[in-house]
Amino acid sequence: MALEPEKIDQSTFDELRRHYTDGDIAELTMFLFFNLGFHTFFGSLKFYPMFAPDGRLVDQEESARIYGEAPASLAGGGGAAPGDGG
Amino acid sequence: MAFLAPKPMDQIEDGDLRRLIARCDELGVPDARFGQILAHKPAQAKAALGAIVHSHFEGNVDHRLKEIIRIQLARLAEDAYFASLRSRKALAAGLTEDMIAAGCGDYEDSPLFGDAWKCALAFAEQMVLDAAKVDAAFYDEMKRHFSEAEIMEIGAFIAIHFGVAKATRPLNLGPAACPGR
Repeated sequence: MALEPEKIDQSTFDELRRHYTDGDIAELTMFLFFNLGFHTFFGSLKFYPMFAPDGRLVDQEESARIYGEAPASLAGGGGAAPGDGG
Repeated sequence: MAFLAPKPMDQIEDGDLRRLIARCDELGVPDARFGQILAHKPAQAKAALGAIVHSHFEGNVDHRLKEIIRIQLARLAEDAYFASLRSRKALAAGLTEDMIAAGCGDYEDSPLFGDAWKCALAFAEQMVLDAAKVDAAFYDEMKRHFSEAEIMEIGAFIAIHFGVAKATRPLNLGPAACPGR
């Protein structure tokens, strides 16, 4: 959906229906409505976590120094997936 | 043919959702068919439709500008359905197809728009094509024309309506029948 929406066709929906109801597919679609755009917009606003790793409340300048211009979460270090033990 | 079939209105039991779908049809964006597709999941449909409608029809930013941006975003997402819709409120306020064409094309050189609208149109276009260009200098330019509340209104509007167009395209709805055009 995000990278190559032209690849989504009838067969994609046939495969989705093997696993999900039409209600579930509608729900996933609505979830994507908001996630596709808001990550880009919020990314442009350049705001940083309010708290340092040690729990201190920090201002945006200090947070930017702590977390850097390229947050670890964008490099694949953002967290663990359910079931992988992390 | 849409890959998810619209749910017939007489099968939508939630009265609030039926009224919201009817309101969408009156506004022109989105039309009833879109709401009927989302109605396969009624609770989420009410929240999603509510956000789509509120972000477009409420707020402080000129509704005609938002309508041009919405169509610009739908065209960038190559979504024929949302690109074909027109807000009746925007048309009544004087929005023309010439303005829409200019907004989706070479808006920078268009005599139809002032600097504020051109800046907002660039905001939407760059958010989609090259978000890295929406930097501190770009926001400084936006602040010359809009309050921070208005910038948030436009930014959230772009986020919602680009995501909606992008996620709607694969549903294969095709162009809508648009009264008033």
